[in-house]
Amino acid sequence: MIGDESGLLTVLQFADSALPTGAFSQSLGLETAIHDDAVHDEATFQTWLHRFLHHQLAPADGWAIRAVVRDGLYALRVDAMLHAMSLPVQVREANAAMGRRAVQIAAENFPSLEITDYAALVSTRRAVGSVPVVLALLAREHGIHWRDACAAHVFTSLTALTQNAVRGIPIGQNAGQRVLRAMHPEVTRAVDRVAALTEDQVGAVSPALEIDQMRHAWQRARMFMS
Amino acid sequence: MVIDAVTRTGAAHDVELTGGLLLQVEHRGGRHVVTGQRHQGALRLLRPLYLDSSGQPCLTVVNPGGGYVGGDRYRLAVAVGSEASALVTTQSATKVYRTPGRAVVQEQTFTVGAGGTLEVIPDPLIAYQDADYLQRTEVVVSPDARAVLTDVVTPGWAPDGSLHRWSSVLLRTTLARPHGGLISLDTLHLVPDDDAVADHGFLPGRTHLGTLLAVAPEIDWAVIEVVHDLLTKREAEVTGLRAGVTGLAEPAGVAQGTRGSAAAGLAVRVLGPGTSAVEDLLLDVHAALRRRWGNQGRLNARKY
Repeated sequence: MIGDESGLLTVLQFADSALPTGAFSQSLGLETAIHDDAVHDEATFQTWLHRFLHHQLAPADGWAIRAVVRDGLYALRVDAMLHAMSLPVQVREANAAMGRRAVQIAAENFPSLEITDYAALVSTRRAVGSVPVVLALLAREHGIHWRDACAAHVFTSLTALTQNAVRGIPIGQNAGQRVLRAMHPEVTRAVDRVAALTEDQVGAVSPALEIDQMRHAWQRARMFMS
Repeated sequence: MVIDAVTRTGAAHDVELTGGLLLQVEHRGGRHVVTGQRHQGALRLLRPLYLDSSGQPCLTVVNPGGGYVGGDRYRLAVAVGSEASALVTTQSATKVYRTPGRAVVQEQTFTVGAGGTLEVIPDPLIAYQDADYLQRTEVVVSPDARAVLTDVVTPGWAPDGSLHRWSSVLLRTTLARPHGGLISLDTLHLVPDDDAVADHGFLPGRTHLGTLLAVAPEIDWAVIEVVHDLLTKREAEVTGLRAGVTGLAEPAGVAQGTRGSAAAGLAVRVLGPGTSAVEDLLLDVHAALRRRWGNQGRLNARKY
Protein backbone atom coordinates (compact mmCIF):
# COMPACT_ATOMS: atom_id res chain seq x y z
CA MET A 1 0.00 0.00 0.00
CA ILE A 2 0.98 3.64 -0.30
CA GLY A 3 3.46 4.33 2.46
CA ASP A 4 4.87 7.82 2.10
CA GLU A 5 2.98 10.98 1.40
CA SER A 6 5.02 12.01 -1.65
CA GLY A 7 3.81 8.90 -3.48
CA LEU A 8 0.22 9.42 -2.35
CA LEU A 9 0.23 13.05 -3.42
CA THR A 10 1.78 12.22 -6.77
CA VAL A 11 -0.97 9.71 -7.45
CA LEU A 12 -3.64 12.13 -6.21
CA GLN A 13 -2.41 14.86 -8.51
CA PHE A 14 -1.74 12.69 -11.50
CA ALA A 15 -4.55 10.16 -11.36
CA ASP A 16 -7.13 12.92 -11.09
CA SER A 17 -9.95 13.22 -13.55
CA ALA A 18 -9.42 16.99 -13.46
CA LEU A 19 -5.87 16.60 -14.82
CA PRO A 20 -6.02 18.71 -17.98
CA THR A 21 -5.57 15.92 -20.54
CA GLY A 22 -8.90 16.48 -22.24
CA ALA A 23 -10.58 13.35 -20.86
CA PHE A 24 -13.83 15.32 -20.53
CA SER A 25 -14.15 15.39 -24.32
CA GLN A 26 -13.67 11.63 -24.84
CA SER A 27 -16.58 9.18 -24.48
CA LEU A 28 -14.61 6.17 -25.86
CA GLY A 29 -17.69 4.70 -27.49
CA LEU A 30 -20.20 5.59 -24.77
CA GLU A 31 -21.78 8.23 -27.00
CA THR A 32 -22.53 5.60 -29.65
CA ALA A 33 -24.20 3.41 -27.02
CA ILE A 34 -26.26 6.42 -25.90
CA HIS A 35 -27.16 7.28 -29.49
CA ASP A 36 -28.28 3.68 -30.15
CA ASP A 37 -30.23 3.69 -26.87
CA ALA A 38 -28.19 0.79 -25.44
CA VAL A 39 -27.34 3.20 -22.61
CA HIS A 40 -30.18 5.44 -21.43
CA ASP A 41 -30.27 5.44 -17.61
CA GLU A 42 -28.28 4.68 -14.47
CA ALA A 43 -28.64 0.89 -14.73
CA THR A 44 -27.71 0.62 -18.40
CA PHE A 45 -24.77 2.97 -17.87
CA GLN A 46 -23.52 0.85 -14.98
CA THR A 47 -23.65 -2.24 -17.21
CA TRP A 48 -21.74 -0.38 -19.92
CA LEU A 49 -19.12 0.87 -17.47
CA HIS A 50 -18.69 -2.63 -16.06
CA ARG A 51 -17.94 -3.96 -19.53
CA PHE A 52 -15.61 -1.06 -20.26
CA LEU A 53 -13.67 -1.71 -17.05
CA HIS A 54 -13.21 -5.45 -17.54
CA HIS A 55 -12.99 -5.61 -21.31
CA GLN A 56 -11.10 -2.45 -22.20
CA LEU A 57 -9.39 -0.71 -19.31
CA ALA A 58 -8.08 -3.80 -17.54
CA PRO A 59 -6.56 -5.69 -20.50
CA ALA A 60 -5.05 -2.54 -22.06
CA ASP A 61 -4.27 0.32 -19.63
CA GLY A 62 -4.21 -1.93 -16.57
CA TRP A 63 -1.79 -4.31 -18.24
CA ALA A 64 0.43 -1.37 -19.28
CA ILE A 65 0.89 -0.30 -15.66
CA ARG A 66 1.64 -3.84 -14.56
CA ALA A 67 4.06 -4.28 -17.47
CA VAL A 68 6.11 -1.20 -16.62
CA VAL A 69 6.02 -1.33 -12.81
CA ARG A 70 5.90 -5.05 -12.01
CA ASP A 71 7.32 -6.74 -15.10
CA GLY A 72 9.92 -4.09 -15.95
CA LEU A 73 9.05 -3.80 -19.66
CA TYR A 74 10.47 -0.82 -21.51
CA ALA A 75 8.09 2.13 -21.48
CA LEU A 76 8.68 2.62 -25.20
CA ARG A 77 7.62 -0.95 -25.97
CA VAL A 78 4.47 -0.70 -23.85
CA ASP A 79 3.68 2.65 -25.47
CA ALA A 80 3.90 1.12 -28.97
CA MET A 81 1.87 -1.94 -27.98
CA LEU A 82 -0.94 0.12 -26.43
CA HIS A 83 -1.13 2.20 -29.60
CA ALA A 84 -1.29 -0.92 -31.78
CA MET A 85 -3.97 -2.50 -29.56
CA SER A 86 -6.40 0.37 -30.11
CA LEU A 87 -7.96 -0.53 -33.43
CA PRO A 88 -10.67 2.19 -33.49
CA VAL A 89 -8.95 5.29 -34.82
CA GLN A 90 -10.77 7.71 -32.50
CA VAL A 91 -9.78 5.74 -29.41
CA ARG A 92 -6.21 5.57 -30.65
CA GLU A 93 -6.12 9.30 -31.26
CA ALA A 94 -7.90 10.07 -27.97
CA ASN A 95 -5.35 8.04 -26.04
CA ALA A 96 -2.49 9.64 -27.97
CA ALA A 97 -3.79 13.18 -27.35
CA MET A 98 -4.33 12.54 -23.63
CA GLY A 99 -0.99 10.75 -23.45
CA ARG A 100 0.98 13.56 -25.06
CA ARG A 101 -0.58 16.05 -22.66
CA ALA A 102 0.10 13.81 -19.65
CA VAL A 103 3.74 13.41 -20.65
CA GLN A 104 4.15 17.21 -20.81
CA ILE A 105 2.54 17.70 -17.41
CA ALA A 106 4.71 14.98 -15.89
CA ALA A 107 7.90 16.30 -17.46
CA GLU A 108 7.17 19.75 -16.09
CA ASN A 109 6.16 18.73 -12.58
CA PHE A 110 7.85 15.38 -11.92
CA PRO A 111 11.01 15.53 -14.02
CA SER A 112 12.75 12.24 -13.30
CA LEU A 113 15.30 10.82 -15.73
CA GLU A 114 12.80 8.34 -17.16
CA ILE A 115 9.98 10.85 -17.49
CA THR A 116 12.25 13.36 -19.22
CA ASP A 117 13.50 10.65 -21.56
CA TYR A 118 9.95 9.53 -22.38
CA ALA A 119 8.87 13.14 -22.98
CA ALA A 120 11.77 13.61 -25.41
CA LEU A 121 10.75 10.47 -27.33
CA VAL A 122 7.15 11.68 -27.50
CA SER A 123 8.06 15.19 -28.62
CA THR A 124 10.17 13.76 -31.46
CA ARG A 125 7.35 11.33 -32.33
CA ARG A 126 9.39 8.23 -31.63
CA ALA A 127 6.85 7.37 -28.95
CA VAL A 128 3.11 8.05 -29.00
CA GLY A 129 2.52 9.13 -25.40
CA SER A 130 0.25 7.27 -23.01
CA VAL A 131 -1.41 8.21 -19.71
CA PRO A 132 -0.99 4.77 -18.07
CA VAL A 133 2.68 4.61 -19.09
CA VAL A 134 3.35 8.02 -17.52
CA LEU A 135 1.55 7.01 -14.34
CA ALA A 136 3.48 3.75 -14.26
CA LEU A 137 6.81 5.58 -14.53
CA LEU A 138 5.75 7.91 -11.69
CA ALA A 139 4.67 4.93 -9.61
CA ARG A 140 7.99 3.19 -10.13
CA GLU A 141 9.87 6.37 -9.26
CA HIS A 142 7.90 6.87 -6.04
CA GLY A 143 7.81 3.25 -4.94
CA ILE A 144 4.07 2.88 -5.42
CA HIS A 145 2.81 -0.67 -5.85
CA TRP A 146 1.58 -1.45 -9.36
CA ARG A 147 -1.82 -2.51 -7.99
CA ASP A 148 -2.33 0.88 -6.35
CA ALA A 149 -1.26 2.74 -9.49
CA CYS A 150 -3.47 0.47 -11.58
CA ALA A 151 -6.53 0.92 -9.35
CA ALA A 152 -5.98 4.69 -9.26
CA HIS A 153 -5.69 5.01 -13.03
CA VAL A 154 -8.61 2.71 -13.75
CA PHE A 155 -10.86 4.45 -11.24
CA THR A 156 -9.90 7.88 -12.59
CA SER A 157 -10.87 6.74 -16.07
CA LEU A 158 -14.22 5.47 -14.75
CA THR A 159 -14.75 8.82 -12.99
CA ALA A 160 -14.09 10.80 -16.18
CA LEU A 161 -16.50 8.59 -18.14
CA THR A 162 -19.12 8.91 -15.41
CA GLN A 163 -18.87 12.70 -15.55
CA ASN A 164 -19.38 12.44 -19.30
CA ALA A 165 -22.36 10.13 -18.76
CA VAL A 166 -23.91 12.62 -16.33
CA ARG A 167 -23.80 15.24 -19.09
CA GLY A 168 -24.36 12.96 -22.06
CA ILE A 169 -27.23 10.61 -21.09
CA PRO A 170 -28.00 12.64 -18.89
CA ILE A 171 -28.22 11.11 -15.44
CA GLY A 172 -28.10 12.91 -12.07
CA GLN A 173 -24.88 13.62 -10.20
CA ASN A 174 -26.09 11.36 -7.37
CA ALA A 175 -26.71 8.53 -9.82
CA GLY A 176 -23.16 9.01 -11.08
CA GLN A 177 -21.79 8.71 -7.55
CA ARG A 178 -23.83 5.54 -6.94
CA VAL A 179 -22.41 3.96 -10.10
CA LEU A 180 -18.87 4.88 -9.08
CA ARG A 181 -19.37 3.45 -5.60
CA ALA A 182 -20.70 0.23 -7.12
CA MET A 183 -17.50 0.01 -9.19
CA HIS A 184 -15.20 -0.24 -6.13
CA PRO A 185 -15.28 -4.05 -5.80
CA GLU A 186 -15.19 -4.32 -9.59
CA VAL A 187 -11.96 -2.32 -9.70
CA THR A 188 -10.40 -4.80 -7.27
CA ARG A 189 -11.61 -7.66 -9.45
CA ALA A 190 -10.22 -5.90 -12.51
CA VAL A 191 -6.79 -5.49 -10.88
CA ASP A 192 -6.88 -9.20 -10.01
CA ARG A 193 -7.61 -9.96 -13.65
CA VAL A 194 -4.73 -7.74 -14.73
CA ALA A 195 -2.42 -9.62 -12.36
CA ALA A 196 -3.41 -12.91 -14.02
CA LEU A 197 -3.31 -11.80 -17.68
CA THR A 198 -1.09 -13.97 -19.86
CA GLU A 199 0.94 -12.54 -22.70
CA ASP A 200 -1.62 -13.85 -25.18
CA GLN A 201 -4.53 -12.16 -23.41
CA VAL A 202 -3.05 -8.68 -23.35
CA GLY A 203 -5.21 -6.11 -25.12
CA ALA A 204 -8.31 -8.29 -25.47
CA VAL A 205 -11.06 -5.70 -25.86
CA SER A 206 -14.76 -6.56 -26.17
CA PRO A 207 -15.64 -6.67 -29.88
CA ALA A 208 -18.99 -5.02 -29.15
CA LEU A 209 -17.20 -2.05 -27.57
CA GLU A 210 -14.81 -1.82 -30.50
CA ILE A 211 -17.66 -1.79 -33.00
CA ASP A 212 -19.31 1.08 -31.08
CA GLN A 213 -16.02 2.96 -30.98
CA MET A 214 -15.50 2.45 -34.73
CA ARG A 215 -19.03 3.64 -35.52
CA HIS A 216 -18.64 6.82 -33.50
CA ALA A 217 -16.52 8.34 -36.29
CA TRP A 218 -19.63 8.42 -38.50
CA GLN A 219 -22.10 9.55 -35.86
CA ARG A 220 -23.80 12.87 -36.52
CA ALA A 221 -24.18 15.62 -33.89
CA ARG A 222 -21.45 14.47 -31.55
CA MET A 223 -20.76 15.94 -28.12
CA PHE A 224 -17.54 13.95 -27.74
CA MET A 225 -14.45 13.39 -29.88
CA SER A 226 -14.54 9.60 -29.47
CA MET B 1 14.13 -18.50 -47.85
CA VAL B 2 11.26 -19.28 -45.52
CA ILE B 3 12.45 -22.86 -45.30
CA ASP B 4 15.87 -21.65 -44.21
CA ALA B 5 14.34 -19.23 -41.76
CA VAL B 6 12.10 -21.87 -40.30
CA THR B 7 14.89 -24.43 -40.11
CA ARG B 8 16.98 -21.92 -38.24
CA THR B 9 14.28 -21.49 -35.64
CA GLY B 10 13.99 -25.25 -35.33
CA ALA B 11 10.41 -25.28 -36.51
CA ALA B 12 10.87 -27.57 -39.48
CA HIS B 13 11.18 -30.70 -37.39
CA ASP B 14 9.50 -29.80 -34.17
CA VAL B 15 8.69 -33.15 -32.57
CA GLU B 16 5.98 -31.46 -30.52
CA LEU B 17 4.03 -30.39 -33.59
CA THR B 18 0.86 -32.24 -34.55
CA GLY B 19 1.06 -30.67 -37.96
CA GLY B 20 3.24 -28.16 -39.72
CA LEU B 21 3.22 -26.63 -43.17
CA LEU B 22 5.77 -24.21 -44.56
CA LEU B 23 5.24 -22.62 -47.93
CA GLN B 24 7.07 -20.17 -50.09
CA VAL B 25 5.50 -18.44 -53.08
CA GLU B 26 7.51 -16.54 -55.65
CA HIS B 27 6.88 -14.56 -58.78
CA ARG B 28 8.51 -16.27 -61.76
CA GLY B 29 7.91 -15.51 -65.41
CA GLY B 30 4.54 -13.83 -64.91
CA ARG B 31 3.23 -16.61 -62.68
CA HIS B 32 3.09 -16.99 -58.96
CA VAL B 33 4.38 -20.41 -57.98
CA VAL B 34 5.03 -22.41 -54.85
CA THR B 35 8.80 -22.71 -54.83
CA GLY B 36 9.24 -24.18 -51.38
CA GLN B 37 7.09 -26.58 -49.44
CA ARG B 38 7.61 -28.68 -46.36
CA HIS B 39 4.99 -30.45 -44.36
CA GLN B 40 5.00 -32.40 -41.17
CA GLY B 41 2.32 -34.57 -39.59
CA ALA B 42 -1.30 -33.65 -39.94
CA LEU B 43 -1.19 -30.61 -42.21
CA ARG B 44 -1.10 -30.88 -46.01
CA LEU B 45 -1.41 -28.66 -49.01
CA LEU B 46 -3.81 -29.52 -51.82
CA ARG B 47 -2.54 -29.01 -55.35
CA PRO B 48 -2.56 -25.24 -55.93
CA LEU B 49 -5.50 -24.01 -57.98
CA TYR B 50 -5.68 -20.95 -60.17
CA LEU B 51 -9.15 -19.51 -59.63
CA ASP B 52 -8.90 -16.62 -62.07
CA SER B 53 -6.64 -15.23 -64.75
CA SER B 54 -4.47 -13.29 -62.32
CA GLY B 55 -1.95 -16.10 -61.93
CA GLN B 56 -2.50 -16.14 -58.17
CA PRO B 57 -2.40 -19.64 -56.70
CA CYS B 58 -5.07 -20.67 -54.21
CA LEU B 59 -3.33 -22.67 -51.50
CA THR B 60 -5.75 -24.92 -49.65
CA VAL B 61 -4.54 -26.20 -46.31
CA VAL B 62 -5.98 -29.54 -45.26
CA ASN B 63 -6.09 -31.25 -41.92
CA PRO B 64 -6.75 -34.89 -42.87
CA GLY B 65 -7.45 -35.70 -39.23
CA GLY B 66 -10.60 -33.61 -39.45
CA GLY B 67 -10.56 -31.77 -36.14
CA TYR B 68 -8.30 -30.52 -33.40
CA VAL B 69 -8.09 -32.18 -29.99
CA GLY B 70 -6.46 -31.21 -26.70
CA GLY B 71 -2.74 -30.57 -26.76
CA ASP B 72 -2.57 -30.39 -30.57
CA ARG B 73 -0.11 -27.89 -31.93
CA TYR B 74 -0.13 -26.70 -35.50
CA ARG B 75 2.16 -24.36 -37.34
CA LEU B 76 1.53 -22.74 -40.68
CA ALA B 77 4.10 -20.45 -42.27
CA VAL B 78 3.67 -18.80 -45.64
CA ALA B 79 6.24 -16.48 -47.17
CA VAL B 80 5.24 -14.50 -50.23
CA GLY B 81 8.24 -13.14 -52.12
CA SER B 82 8.54 -9.77 -53.78
CA GLU B 83 5.86 -9.08 -56.42
CA ALA B 84 4.35 -12.51 -55.73
CA SER B 85 0.71 -13.20 -54.85
CA ALA B 86 -1.07 -15.99 -53.01
CA LEU B 87 -4.43 -16.84 -51.51
CA VAL B 88 -4.47 -19.16 -48.51
CA THR B 89 -7.63 -20.94 -47.44
CA THR B 90 -8.78 -24.14 -45.75
CA GLN B 91 -10.69 -27.10 -47.10
CA SER B 92 -13.34 -26.96 -44.40
CA ALA B 93 -14.17 -25.38 -41.04
CA THR B 94 -11.60 -25.61 -38.27
CA LYS B 95 -13.27 -27.84 -35.69
CA VAL B 96 -11.89 -27.81 -32.18
CA TYR B 97 -13.23 -30.61 -29.99
CA ARG B 98 -13.37 -30.79 -26.22
CA THR B 99 -9.88 -30.05 -24.96
CA PRO B 100 -9.40 -31.17 -21.37
CA GLY B 101 -6.02 -30.08 -20.08
CA ARG B 102 -3.97 -28.33 -22.72
CA ALA B 103 -5.34 -25.90 -25.25
CA VAL B 104 -5.11 -26.44 -28.99
CA VAL B 105 -2.50 -24.03 -30.29
CA GLN B 106 -2.32 -22.89 -33.88
CA GLU B 107 0.63 -20.69 -34.78
CA GLN B 108 0.64 -18.88 -38.10
CA THR B 109 3.39 -16.78 -39.61
CA PHE B 110 2.84 -14.85 -42.81
CA THR B 111 5.41 -12.64 -44.48
CA VAL B 112 4.86 -10.54 -47.57
CA GLY B 113 7.83 -9.15 -49.48
CA ALA B 114 8.04 -5.92 -51.45
CA GLY B 115 5.09 -5.46 -53.79
CA GLY B 116 3.65 -8.84 -52.81
CA THR B 117 0.07 -9.78 -51.95
CA LEU B 118 -1.19 -12.37 -49.47
CA GLU B 119 -4.83 -13.08 -48.75
CA VAL B 120 -5.68 -15.47 -45.91
CA ILE B 121 -9.38 -16.38 -46.02
CA PRO B 122 -9.93 -19.53 -43.94
CA ASP B 123 -13.21 -21.30 -43.22
CA PRO B 124 -14.92 -20.46 -39.91
CA LEU B 125 -13.88 -21.74 -36.52
CA ILE B 126 -16.26 -24.16 -34.82
CA ALA B 127 -15.30 -24.63 -31.18
CA TYR B 128 -17.17 -27.48 -29.49
CA GLN B 129 -18.31 -27.57 -25.89
CA ASP B 130 -15.33 -27.22 -23.49
CA ALA B 131 -12.93 -26.50 -26.34
CA ASP B 132 -9.89 -24.32 -25.63
CA TYR B 133 -8.36 -22.78 -28.74
CA LEU B 134 -5.44 -20.39 -29.05
CA GLN B 135 -4.48 -18.99 -32.42
CA ARG B 136 -1.38 -16.83 -32.73
CA THR B 137 -0.91 -15.11 -36.05
CA GLU B 138 2.07 -12.94 -36.92
CA VAL B 139 2.05 -11.04 -40.17
CA VAL B 140 5.01 -9.06 -41.47
CA VAL B 141 4.16 -6.81 -44.38
CA SER B 142 6.64 -4.79 -46.42
CA PRO B 143 5.64 -1.13 -46.77
CA ASP B 144 4.45 -1.53 -50.37
CA ALA B 145 2.95 -5.00 -49.91
CA ARG B 146 -0.62 -6.11 -49.24
CA ALA B 147 -2.10 -8.49 -46.71
CA VAL B 148 -5.74 -9.33 -46.06
CA LEU B 149 -6.79 -11.71 -43.29
CA THR B 150 -10.22 -12.84 -42.16
CA ASP B 151 -11.46 -14.87 -39.23
CA VAL B 152 -15.00 -16.01 -38.44
CA VAL B 153 -15.91 -17.41 -35.03
CA THR B 154 -19.17 -19.39 -35.00
CA PRO B 155 -21.14 -20.04 -31.80
CA GLY B 156 -19.73 -23.56 -31.80
CA TRP B 157 -21.45 -26.77 -30.95
CA ALA B 158 -22.81 -28.42 -27.79
CA PRO B 159 -24.86 -31.65 -27.52
CA ASP B 160 -27.90 -29.80 -26.18
CA GLY B 161 -27.83 -27.25 -28.98
CA SER B 162 -26.90 -24.29 -26.77
CA LEU B 163 -24.45 -21.72 -28.10
CA HIS B 164 -21.03 -20.44 -27.07
CA ARG B 165 -20.18 -23.39 -24.84
CA TRP B 166 -16.45 -23.51 -25.52
CA SER B 167 -14.18 -22.85 -22.59
CA SER B 168 -11.93 -20.29 -24.33
CA VAL B 169 -11.34 -18.95 -27.82
CA LEU B 170 -8.37 -16.65 -28.16
CA LEU B 171 -7.30 -15.20 -31.50
CA ARG B 172 -4.25 -12.98 -31.45
CA THR B 173 -3.10 -11.30 -34.64
CA THR B 174 -0.07 -9.07 -34.94
CA LEU B 175 0.54 -6.94 -38.01
CA ALA B 176 4.01 -5.46 -38.25
CA ARG B 177 6.52 -3.93 -40.62
CA PRO B 178 9.77 -5.78 -41.39
CA HIS B 179 11.77 -3.55 -39.00
CA GLY B 180 9.49 -4.71 -36.18
CA GLY B 181 7.21 -1.68 -35.87
CA LEU B 182 3.69 -2.71 -34.83
CA ILE B 183 0.75 -1.71 -37.01
CA SER B 184 -1.85 -3.51 -34.96
CA LEU B 185 -2.15 -6.04 -32.22
CA ASP B 186 -5.61 -7.52 -32.27
CA THR B 187 -6.69 -9.85 -29.49
CA LEU B 188 -10.07 -11.51 -29.20
CA HIS B 189 -10.51 -13.47 -26.01
CA LEU B 190 -13.95 -15.00 -25.73
CA VAL B 191 -14.63 -16.77 -22.44
CA PRO B 192 -18.32 -17.55 -21.97
CA ASP B 193 -18.05 -18.87 -18.40
CA ASP B 194 -16.15 -15.94 -16.99
CA ASP B 195 -18.50 -13.29 -18.35
CA ALA B 196 -21.91 -13.45 -19.81
CA VAL B 197 -21.15 -13.88 -23.50
CA ALA B 198 -23.39 -10.89 -24.12
CA ASP B 199 -20.53 -8.83 -22.69
CA HIS B 200 -18.71 -9.46 -25.95
CA GLY B 201 -21.76 -8.41 -27.92
CA PHE B 202 -23.23 -11.82 -28.71
CA LEU B 203 -27.00 -11.83 -28.48
CA PRO B 204 -29.74 -14.10 -29.74
CA GLY B 205 -29.75 -13.41 -33.47
CA ARG B 206 -26.24 -11.95 -33.27
CA THR B 207 -24.19 -15.05 -32.64
CA HIS B 208 -21.26 -14.96 -35.07
CA LEU B 209 -18.17 -12.79 -34.99
CA GLY B 210 -16.07 -11.84 -37.98
CA THR B 211 -12.87 -9.84 -38.39
CA LEU B 212 -11.05 -8.58 -41.45
CA LEU B 213 -7.64 -6.97 -41.18
CA ALA B 214 -5.98 -5.45 -44.22
CA VAL B 215 -2.76 -3.60 -44.87
CA ALA B 216 -2.05 -2.11 -48.28
CA PRO B 217 -0.58 1.08 -49.74
CA GLU B 218 -3.88 1.63 -51.60
CA ILE B 219 -5.93 1.89 -48.39
CA ASP B 220 -6.81 5.46 -47.50
CA TRP B 221 -9.79 7.28 -46.02
CA ALA B 222 -11.72 7.07 -49.29
CA VAL B 223 -11.49 3.25 -49.17
CA ILE B 224 -12.56 3.23 -45.54
CA GLU B 225 -15.59 5.36 -46.49
CA VAL B 226 -16.47 2.88 -49.25
CA VAL B 227 -16.28 0.01 -46.76
CA HIS B 228 -18.35 1.95 -44.24
CA ASP B 229 -21.07 2.52 -46.85
CA LEU B 230 -21.03 -1.18 -47.67
CA LEU B 231 -21.47 -2.10 -43.99
CA THR B 232 -24.28 0.40 -43.53
CA LYS B 233 -26.12 -0.84 -46.60
CA ARG B 234 -25.82 -4.47 -45.53
CA GLU B 235 -27.01 -3.73 -42.01
CA ALA B 236 -30.20 -2.29 -43.48
CA GLU B 237 -30.75 -5.58 -45.34
CA VAL B 238 -29.73 -8.20 -42.78
CA THR B 239 -31.36 -8.30 -39.34
CA GLY B 240 -28.88 -8.76 -36.51
CA LEU B 241 -25.85 -7.48 -38.39
CA ARG B 242 -23.76 -4.89 -36.59
CA ALA B 243 -20.39 -3.87 -37.94
CA GLY B 244 -17.68 -1.27 -37.77
CA VAL B 245 -14.63 -0.28 -39.79
CA THR B 246 -11.62 1.76 -38.82
CA GLY B 247 -8.23 2.81 -40.13
CA LEU B 248 -4.99 1.29 -38.87
CA ALA B 249 -1.92 3.40 -38.22
CA GLU B 250 1.70 3.09 -39.21
CA PRO B 251 3.90 2.17 -36.22
CA ALA B 252 4.92 4.95 -33.87
CA GLY B 253 8.01 6.68 -35.16
CA VAL B 254 6.95 6.34 -38.81
CA ALA B 255 5.99 9.64 -40.43
CA GLN B 256 2.21 10.04 -40.47
CA GLY B 257 0.10 11.62 -43.18
CA THR B 258 -2.03 14.69 -42.68
CA ARG B 259 -5.13 12.57 -42.04
CA GLY B 260 -3.55 11.39 -38.83
CA SER B 261 -3.04 7.72 -38.30
CA ALA B 262 -5.27 6.05 -40.89
CA ALA B 263 -2.56 5.35 -43.41
CA ALA B 264 -1.51 1.75 -43.09
CA GLY B 265 -4.68 -0.33 -43.44
CA LEU B 266 -8.11 -1.04 -42.06
CA ALA B 267 -9.95 -3.32 -39.65
CA VAL B 268 -13.53 -4.54 -39.90
CA ARG B 269 -15.36 -6.16 -37.00
CA VAL B 270 -18.80 -7.64 -37.50
CA LEU B 271 -21.35 -9.41 -35.33
CA GLY B 272 -24.05 -11.21 -37.24
CA PRO B 273 -26.81 -13.81 -37.27
CA GLY B 274 -24.98 -16.59 -39.12
CA THR B 275 -21.89 -17.81 -40.91
CA SER B 276 -23.03 -16.77 -44.37
CA ALA B 277 -24.15 -13.28 -43.32
CA VAL B 278 -20.78 -12.59 -41.73
CA GLU B 279 -18.71 -14.37 -44.38
CA ASP B 280 -20.55 -12.70 -47.28
CA LEU B 281 -19.93 -9.28 -45.80
CA LEU B 282 -16.23 -9.93 -45.24
CA LEU B 283 -15.88 -11.27 -48.81
CA ASP B 284 -17.61 -8.16 -50.14
CA VAL B 285 -15.16 -5.97 -48.22
CA HIS B 286 -12.34 -8.12 -49.57
CA ALA B 287 -13.72 -7.67 -53.10
CA ALA B 288 -13.86 -3.89 -52.63
CA LEU B 289 -10.22 -3.94 -51.57
CA ARG B 290 -9.23 -6.12 -54.55
CA ARG B 291 -10.79 -3.58 -56.90
CA ARG B 292 -8.40 -0.99 -55.48
CA TRP B 293 -5.27 -2.81 -56.49
CA GLY B 294 -6.07 -5.10 -59.38
CA ASN B 295 -8.69 -6.78 -61.48
CA GLN B 296 -9.43 -9.89 -59.45
CA GLY B 297 -13.10 -10.36 -58.76
CA ARG B 298 -14.92 -11.41 -55.62
CA LEU B 299 -13.67 -14.64 -54.13
CA ASN B 300 -16.15 -17.46 -54.53
CA ALA B 301 -16.70 -18.84 -51.04
CA ARG B 302 -17.82 -22.23 -52.34
CA LYS B 303 -15.06 -24.77 -52.13
CA TYR B 304 -13.45 -25.47 -55.42
